[in-house]
Amino acid sequence: MKTPLTALALALTATAAFAEYPDKPVEVVVGYSAGGGTDVMARTVAQFLEQELGDGASVVVKNIPGAGGQIGFTEVSEAAPDGYTLGTFNLPAALALTKDRAADYDVDSFTYLANFVEDPNTITVAATSPFQTLDELIDAAEADPGAITLGLSSLGGNDHFAANMMQDASGAEFTLVPFKGASNARTAIMGGHVAAGTMTLGQTSNFPDDLRVLAVLADERSPFRPDVPTAKELGYDVQMSSLRGIVAPAGLDEATTDRLRAALSAVNENPDFQAMMAEQGNPIAFMVGDDFAETASKQDGIAARIWAETPWK
Amino acid sequence: MPESRNSRLTRPETLTAVGIIVVAAGFLVPTYDLRAISALLPAAMLIGLIVLSVFLLLADQRKASAGEDAAPMTTSPKRVIGAFLMIVSYALACDFVGFYISTAVTIPLVAWTFGYRSPVGLLIATVIVVGTIWAIFDFGMSQDFPTGRLWGR
Amino acid sequence: MYSDLLHALPDVFAWTNFAAVVIGVIAGIVVGAMPGLSATMAISVLVPFTFGLEPLVALGLMAGIYNGAMYGGAIPAVLLRIPGTPAAVATTFDGYPMAQKGEGGFALQVAVVSSSIGGIASAFALMLLAPPLSKVTLLFGPSEVFWVAVFGLASIIFLLGGNPIKGLISACFGVFVSVIGSDPIYGNDRFTFGQLEMLDGINIVILLVGLYALPPVIDLLETPLKTDGVNSSKLGTEPIWKALPRMNYWKTWLRGSFLGIWIGILPGAGGSMAAFMSYNEARRTSKHPETWGEGEPEGVAAAEVANNADTASALIPALTLGIPGTAVAAVMLGGLLVHGLQPGPMLFRDNPDIVFGFMWQFLFGAILLVLLGGSLATNSFARLLNLPRPLLGSVIIVLMLIGVYSIHGRMFDVYLMLGFGAIGWVMDRLKFPLPPVVLGLILGGFAEENLRLALRIGRGDPMVLFQNTTSLILVALTAAVVVGPTLKKRFIDSRKKA
Repeated sequence: MKTPLTALALALTATAAFAEYPDKPVEVVVGYSAGGGTDVMARTVAQFLEQELGDGASVVVKNIPGAGGQIGFTEVSEAAPDGYTLGTFNLPAALALTKDRAADYDVDSFTYLANFVEDPNTITVAATSPFQTLDELIDAAEADPGAITLGLSSLGGNDHFAANMMQDASGAEFTLVPFKGASNARTAIMGGHVAAGTMTLGQTSNFPDDLRVLAVLADERSPFRPDVPTAKELGYDVQMSSLRGIVAPAGLDEATTDRLRAALSAVNENPDFQAMMAEQGNPIAFMVGDDFAETASKQDGIAARIWAETPWK
Repeated sequence: MPESRNSRLTRPETLTAVGIIVVAAGFLVPTYDLRAISALLPAAMLIGLIVLSVFLLLADQRKASAGEDAAPMTTSPKRVIGAFLMIVSYALACDFVGFYISTAVTIPLVAWTFGYRSPVGLLIATVIVVGTIWAIFDFGMSQDFPTGRLWGR
Repeated sequence: MYSDLLHALPDVFAWTNFAAVVIGVIAGIVVGAMPGLSATMAISVLVPFTFGLEPLVALGLMAGIYNGAMYGGAIPAVLLRIPGTPAAVATTFDGYPMAQKGEGGFALQVAVVSSSIGGIASAFALMLLAPPLSKVTLLFGPSEVFWVAVFGLASIIFLLGGNPIKGLISACFGVFVSVIGSDPIYGNDRFTFGQLEMLDGINIVILLVGLYALPPVIDLLETPLKTDGVNSSKLGTEPIWKALPRMNYWKTWLRGSFLGIWIGILPGAGGSMAAFMSYNEARRTSKHPETWGEGEPEGVAAAEVANNADTASALIPALTLGIPGTAVAAVMLGGLLVHGLQPGPMLFRDNPDIVFGFMWQFLFGAILLVLLGGSLATNSFARLLNLPRPLLGSVIIVLMLIGVYSIHGRMFDVYLMLGFGAIGWVMDRLKFPLPPVVLGLILGGFAEENLRLALRIGRGDPMVLFQNTTSLILVALTAAVVVGPTLKKRFIDSRKKA
């Protein structure tokens, strides 16, 4: 029997339960050490997300580095979907590594909340390089297949996929040289130890006098470097980029999902946030909800295809 | 008088050499699954370890037949084993029961067991160490230590 | 740019920024002095915390910690034969014998003065020569870096100890441990047994704490009543100004600073390698090499000057190219990135006050080291380490766990450390030398990675390794410094026999 009193109590707890989220700190798991690009984005987002969630909400970043982010991604996928564990998500890396090694998660293990950053890959040479245009570089690669070396940051990442897709589109053959991390690859390019590289535009931005960006692998020219043509304009239909967003474990209830998506959208609209991200050199490409999920599954497909055609290990 | 056959085989260096050979040979197995270039350096090191250990073994056995006694690894094996066990249980306790409880128990326990018996000294040391760690790491840097898997997350 | 340097100076003296350096140096000495805690761990714990601080406060703290810890690591190295940080391994060679002879106080004073000199030299290199030195870094591609690693590996032969077979077993073990993790080119797992935690390889701190700290802890507990070795009354401390005239190591300081700076600007080698090489070189050129390893103060000077001389210089490639020269510099780079300070030439143009202020902080950190380290270390720390042995042992156990756990925040590393500890104890008791393990771990996988990158660039042709002058110079250097003396000794020995 339901007395009015219990009904009232129930209603109160129900609204309380809803209104109270978040009633404890929300953790954002970052799969890399403190101080990386993803970590800085997470900290910036966390700072503004606290304001948007209101009520003295607390959002803390937790670094769980290791295995190229896999330990952190796994942690998020296995956490309780209660809205108190979120994670940063890097595309295509997070899904690419499910192809080449055993992983305890896949593209369906997450609730896709919002993507913040999209940093397109490029074809870049040293400023002292004889190659002035993308065509010159590709001609040289065609003349002597394998003679042109491309520096990348490890196989199975966006740098590698960019190189792979560029080879497919142009028919030229490059020698891929996977360094440990983008900075090492960049240094090798600047030192003339490799001929060119596929690093992202963001990684070239602090070296304007040392590097020459031949093309951006995006649909449209980047607002950061409007002088650089896209590969598409030059006749090679290749798009590859590095994306960073925020996800939650799969199975997050709809109310909390909507709440978080709305809060993250509000974060994105905050001019202070935009200013801070620009200062960090993070090109924003905000995608929320289904758009983000769709991009993730598209990236998953690309990684699966490349792995099937040219397995890298 | 020459050593008995048994004690010749239980000389620490001989045992260590045999141990290295067995473990290194065991590690050689997974190298077959690797690309030749990936396997090259590890396989070279493992084979190096095996060959060197054979030399070590022979040298030690030669000493044994010359009647040279091997120095024992320790004069008080009970204490050494006890110390190792305590350290391992401390690590396990941190993992499963939680860092602060385990530490507060372990410091006095280990020090007391191994001969430091002043209750006041133990108390002061424990309070200072645990307190300082908490103040710096937890309070100051919000660094989390294991809270104990037994209690869930 | 030198005007930028002067322009940055006033900010450094803002009291919060200056206090940060002072606190950092003290904290660094403490962290370094605690067996089990390392500079890498301290700075990785600090980096997320600094997100909310002003950049110069955060960077000042880190600069101070780095400088302080490189010296602080010498304290337990001298008093307990436990190197407080990886770079202090070479300090144990002569520092610990000195302490046993009752000269521990002097050893620490030599260490603090040498550390400070190395740090100052390195800070000047960073301030005045960062852009030209970064051009030097650019000369080092995979094949050149491979030869640097070979040079370092070859110097292991000086560290083999009395029994070459045992020394080589140690070296092979170290190199083998260095290949655990993912393959440098293809990313295949090697000997990880499906453990994701091992995919990035074995962190040097984990191995070092296990190998070096656990065996002495067992000793402390095994023979609780032994009172020799660590004893503050036997430290033989005298005021540092009285000790100074006894330190006439200008050549060693100069050579060690040069080596430290040079190794610092090369990506990846860093820290311990600089100290080992400086020690080897100083011993090789010494007039009385036979006293080395038995308490030669110059050995402490050689190791300590070099491990501080690569602190600031390791930041040269980190700031200009984004590739840190040491493991600690790598974590510090994270500290810069947290503040949105992206490495590269633009950093110097966009944020000159911060970058040059940071450099000043390094210099002041190094200078402060003598003032703070001199009194702090010899007086208080030596006494702390004079606790009853069982108590000291149990406290070190706790510190080891914290130090290893905090690097990545996982217990897996602690268990791994205990495994290495068991191995270390056996090695210690059977007199296997430990330094070849450390050097093997640092340089083994590093050499392999660069060799394979070089071969890939050369499309499989090994001649790519000999194609440029830098490589050839390095090959010649290796032959002259490492192989030469050994052959010469063989030659003389065989003539004697004949």
